Amino acid sequence: MSICYRLNGIRTNYGSRIVLEIEELEILSRHLYMLTGPNGAGKSTLLSHLALLVAPNKGSLCFGGETVLWNDRTLLGLRRDVTLLHQSPYLFDGSVASNVGYGLKLRGISGDELKFRMEKALDLVGLAGFEKRAARELSGGEVQRVALARALALQTKVLLLDEPLSNVDQATARKVEELLLALPAQGTTVVMTSHDPDHTRLPGCSVIRLAVGGQTQARCTRSCAPDAGASCR
Amino acid sequence: MDFFSDSLRTAFELIVSHDLDVISAVQVSIIVSICSTVIATLFGVPVGVAIAVTEFPGKRAIITLLNTLMALPTVVVGLFVYSLLSRQGPLGGFGLLFTPRAMIIGQTLLAIPIITNITMSALKGADTRIIPTAQTLGATHLESMLQLVIEMRFGIMAAVIAGFGRVIAEVGVAMMLGGNIRGFTRTMTTAIAMETGKGEFAQGLALGLILMGVALTVNMALNVLQQR
Repeated sequence: MSICYRLNGIRTNYGSRIVLEIEELEILSRHLYMLTGPNGAGKSTLLSHLALLVAPNKGSLCFGGETVLWNDRTLLGLRRDVTLLHQSPYLFDGSVASNVGYGLKLRGISGDELKFRMEKALDLVGLAGFEKRAARELSGGEVQRVALARALALQTKVLLLDEPLSNVDQATARKVEELLLALPAQGTTVVMTSHDPDHTRLPGCSVIRLAVGGQTQARCTRSCAPDAGASCR
Repeated sequence: MDFFSDSLRTAFELIVSHDLDVISAVQVSIIVSICSTVIATLFGVPVGVAIAVTEFPGKRAIITLLNTLMALPTVVVGLFVYSLLSRQGPLGGFGLLFTPRAMIIGQTLLAIPIITNITMSALKGADTRIIPTAQTLGATHLESMLQLVIEMRFGIMAAVIAGFGRVIAEVGVAMMLGGNIRGFTRTMTTAIAMETGKGEFAQGLALGLILMGVALTVNMALNVLQQR
């Protein structure tokens, strides 16, 4: 079992306010993690670190066995293994297809492969046939699902989701849950935040709890035992 | 009050008679203005984007400087470039003074602050999720900037239109650096100034109406481009 992320002595502040403090946290590959905690506990901040978008003020973050150096040259390669679905996702102006295809095109994927992955991703979120729709004319729940399809289409090693089910109807939520539960077996590490207590009871999921305040502590419960096998260079 | 009806009739006559002087003035105006707007856009848009998305010491000072430059009188720019291009000036050897190229240099300097500033303001109001969204989907720094520009293209187009409006309407630079040479550097604005000076008000107003028509046509073309 390999370690996907290892965080040590992480501290992040906005101005003088400490928003996230993690002494130690390990996230194993091919696992599903539920990130919970009250509002303001730093869940989204932690996800922005894991997505390699924002550097913490202090501490080290190790990803895939490599210590992240936070410079432009090394970040791009690492970022291509991760994608983050924002809490209220932004869709680019244009069609649904141009949104879902954006990250694929950046990776040099085109033609049939692009079409296949796009159709598959849209089908997974229950929006088959939405390719030509204008992104700006979608409903809130549809926006969230298109953004999810856009993230899924990339087939990254790590999928980070900030409240992916907050805006979708019950039936779709169940479908997406099933989809996310199946991802670790296919090789994807999934970290998602949720306010729904039921989610922490999902089969095979580990829980990371963040507490509010300066003494934020990350605690792993279940199946998240530290593994000394892999280490950071 | 036959003045306006006279000038309207004169304008109409000038257009239908294909007056060579008028055609030449319209051509010089359009070519010089488009060239300077294009050059100023190539410089001003990237600089405006860079200033908007990065934090650096002295940023406020640069913004203040740009705001001041937007109010720069055209004759001051004309004078400045004149001093560079005149025979005694450092660039005098190129023989550029009183050519359309000199006018393009001056008008480019006029348009740059406007295009840079409006681009910057437009991007300051951009959705803060655009860049992180592009980056988490795999974009490089440059690709995420490009996506930001695409998302904010209406604001940037407004910057370009404002820059074009400034240069096609100005007379100071065109007069001082072009010299109002008939058939060579005479623009619609310098022609209007000259006709008015001669007391040919109807002729001047007629040229003014044509200038408005040209500006309207160009903006309509840009508008069509924007809709696509």
